[in-house]
Amino acid sequence: MSEPAIKTTRLSKSYGDVRALVDLDLSVGPGEVFGFLGPNGAGKSTMIRTVLDLIRPTRGSAQILGMDSHTDAVRIRRRVGYLPSDLALYPKLTGRDTLRYFANLRGGVDWAYVERLAARLQADLDKKTSDYSSGNRQKVGIIQAFMSRPDLIIMDEPSTGIDPLVQQEFQAMMRDVAHEGRTVFLSSHTLSEVQRVADRVGIIRDGHLIDVERVHDLRSKAIRRVELVFDAPAPAEDFARIEGARDVEAHDTSVRLAFDGNMDELLQVATGRHHLVDINSEEADLEEIFLAYYRGEEARV
Amino acid sequence: MGLNTYSVAVRDRLTGVLVAAVAVAVMLWFTLAVYSDLDLSFYYDNMPPSLLESFGISTEAGGLGGLAYGAMYNLIGALALAGLAIAIGAASIAGEEQRGTLGLLLANPRSRSRVLAAKLAALVTLVGAGALLLYAAGHLVPRLMDIDIGGLHVGALMLHLGANALLWGMLALAVGAWTGQPGLASGSAAGLMVLSYLGSSVLPLLDGGDTAAKMLPWTWFTETAPEVNGVSTGYLALQLGACAALAAIAFVGLRRRDLRSGGSMTTLMDRLRANPRTHALVERVSGQARVSSITTKTVSDHQVLTTIVSALALYIAILMPPFYTFLPGEVSEFFAQLPDAMIAMVGGVDMGTATGFLQGEVFSITVPIALIVLTATVGAHALAGEEEARTMGLLLANAIPRRAVVLHKAASMVILAAVVGLVTFLGSTAGVLLSGVDVAVADLAATCVLVTLLGLDFGALAMLVSAATGRVRAATSAAAGAAGAAYVLQTFLPLSDRYDQWAAVSPFHYYLGSDPLTTGMPWGDAAVLAGAFVVLVALAVPAFQRRDLRG
Repeated sequence: MSEPAIKTTRLSKSYGDVRALVDLDLSVGPGEVFGFLGPNGAGKSTMIRTVLDLIRPTRGSAQILGMDSHTDAVRIRRRVGYLPSDLALYPKLTGRDTLRYFANLRGGVDWAYVERLAARLQADLDKKTSDYSSGNRQKVGIIQAFMSRPDLIIMDEPSTGIDPLVQQEFQAMMRDVAHEGRTVFLSSHTLSEVQRVADRVGIIRDGHLIDVERVHDLRSKAIRRVELVFDAPAPAEDFARIEGARDVEAHDTSVRLAFDGNMDELLQVATGRHHLVDINSEEADLEEIFLAYYRGEEARV
Repeated sequence: MGLNTYSVAVRDRLTGVLVAAVAVAVMLWFTLAVYSDLDLSFYYDNMPPSLLESFGISTEAGGLGGLAYGAMYNLIGALALAGLAIAIGAASIAGEEQRGTLGLLLANPRSRSRVLAAKLAALVTLVGAGALLLYAAGHLVPRLMDIDIGGLHVGALMLHLGANALLWGMLALAVGAWTGQPGLASGSAAGLMVLSYLGSSVLPLLDGGDTAAKMLPWTWFTETAPEVNGVSTGYLALQLGACAALAAIAFVGLRRRDLRSGGSMTTLMDRLRANPRTHALVERVSGQARVSSITTKTVSDHQVLTTIVSALALYIAILMPPFYTFLPGEVSEFFAQLPDAMIAMVGGVDMGTATGFLQGEVFSITVPIALIVLTATVGAHALAGEEEARTMGLLLANAIPRRAVVLHKAASMVILAAVVGLVTFLGSTAGVLLSGVDVAVADLAATCVLVTLLGLDFGALAMLVSAATGRVRAATSAAAGAAGAAYVLQTFLPLSDRYDQWAAVSPFHYYLGSDPLTTGMPWGDAAVLAGAFVVLVALAVPAFQRRDLRG
């Protein structure tokens, strides 16, 4: 099976004057975990709903597992698992009945596998879904997307409401799928979530696909907010000179800066001339990464 | 208008009130057109004034207006406004609670009582606006048609009609405030309203039934014929007093209760499921069965409403045949003298015969309303309900074509409507056999089949609108409006020589037009009703397939 799991050609969707998706060209290969990254309202859900034939493209087309997203919609869905964003379930059914319902509609679901998935995610299936916490509801949604062992699993912001421990297990489940040669496509607005599990990341903003990167490359580009604490006050100028450092502020014994350069260099300066007591580094938010991207685009022009 | 709980609640429903008022105005136009075509002098010259009075027609008031107003506003207008009030009342607290937005609302520095007060004020405003619009229509339509309605108390009629609607809306609101269940709130209020309407028309025919009828809120509205006799202070006080009492009950209920966060009702099945001893059994019986396919799931989704509707139909159907035997002989004589136009006013039937009485009390209004409430609910929720609840995406993520979803949902509608039709048949057969009334069982069967098909037609219409728009409220309103208009067309158009062929556009024409309770099954009419259902469902398929889904 060498055909791409998802291939879109100039896929566009407009609502009147609002252009939700503009000429999206994207290809996701089999056995890949692909992250689809963008802020709220960027067009992630529109793309997913178009690919699943819930809404129809204004222009362009999408091929899923080699089939046309509209004309072969039913055949496609037999081989695709889907978790919508902002998941809603039937309030009067228990988690188990919900899964049974979808298993009956799908056919060929191995119930023992469902129980295994439930155990992995520590999902409680006995209560009515209206009585669930949002995390438990999400677990039921994840299980129904995985339970038929589909060739392609499409998930729209799947980690909403799930605690970190279960998230780890969930990520392991996604990697298991990829190891079996099947494909995972997940959208997210947090870089860290995508970084931990995805092989490649597509970045979307205002309906435009800005870039597709390997996660490794993206990480090297990512801006980090770094705070260095020394045993004595250190001058800001020492750090402002390093390539990739911005917005350097010295305050008492600490120095804060935004950094997208080479971490080695930064640490050499920090440890060579001063006595480093503590270091704290966290990733910048998505908007800052986009800004960095735009700066990069401008520089290249 | 600034945004607050009150203004948001009013704004949300104002269009609905406006549409309903315009629809009623159009129907009033219709009725007046038909009646102005009749030679009424016959009735006024040949009938004793006391008989006219008892029908709410004053000889001084010119008659024509009296007939048309009585027919339109006392039934269709009153039901429309009361139905709207019930929908608003049920949505006020319980609706927000089920959607999970009530918690959000109460997270602001607002007490429960204040939120409820704002909702109550919105309900009063909307019902008031509706009554005012009907009042304006009641003056405007006759003026445009150049018909004299001098002497009619339109204002008094609207006051009583508005108070009546408010009362049922308050009942729905109070039930919702106590239970947090919008379905239960609207279902129980609508059920009691229909029973009250029926009781107020049937009980006074019996010896000593007057006193019992006086307990019913619908009697407080219609008994004194306010359009002729003006405001009845005593009854108006009763109506408004009941509203105030229900409001107080709502306050008490809401203040002392634990609120749900978008929860659902705990049923007997849930309790049995929770019990370890019965758990396995319940799992086997209910769990597997109700989720085995889209059809069974949809059928089980509407179990509660179907049970309520069936119970109501059964109750009426069993009770009415024996009731007929209790009627004093004068009733038959009385009806024998009535001209057609007045018979039309009470539902188009001659209550002096067993079949006429059964038709009037069971088949012409009550069972169709009950069935259409069910089928329109099923049809509207079939597609738009899942879209609004955002489960349609999940459902279609399975390998099911959209066409199959439509057909499965239509199949469940047929099953549910057939249950109500069958229950009505069994109930009325039991009633007829028990009381020995002269109605043929085969004719009852024919009528029950026809009414089921009639209900399915309006359910399919709701489904078509639901498929094309993805909006539940649009679908239910369309079906309810079409049903009201169809009823009026079939009841009044045949009276006029000039318009009578036009009744053929109404589905009701194919239901009762051939008088199936005496003449048996009209196979051609049944085929028309069944064909309309098939066509509407067939149209719903492409409407649903072509659209971008919501949610």
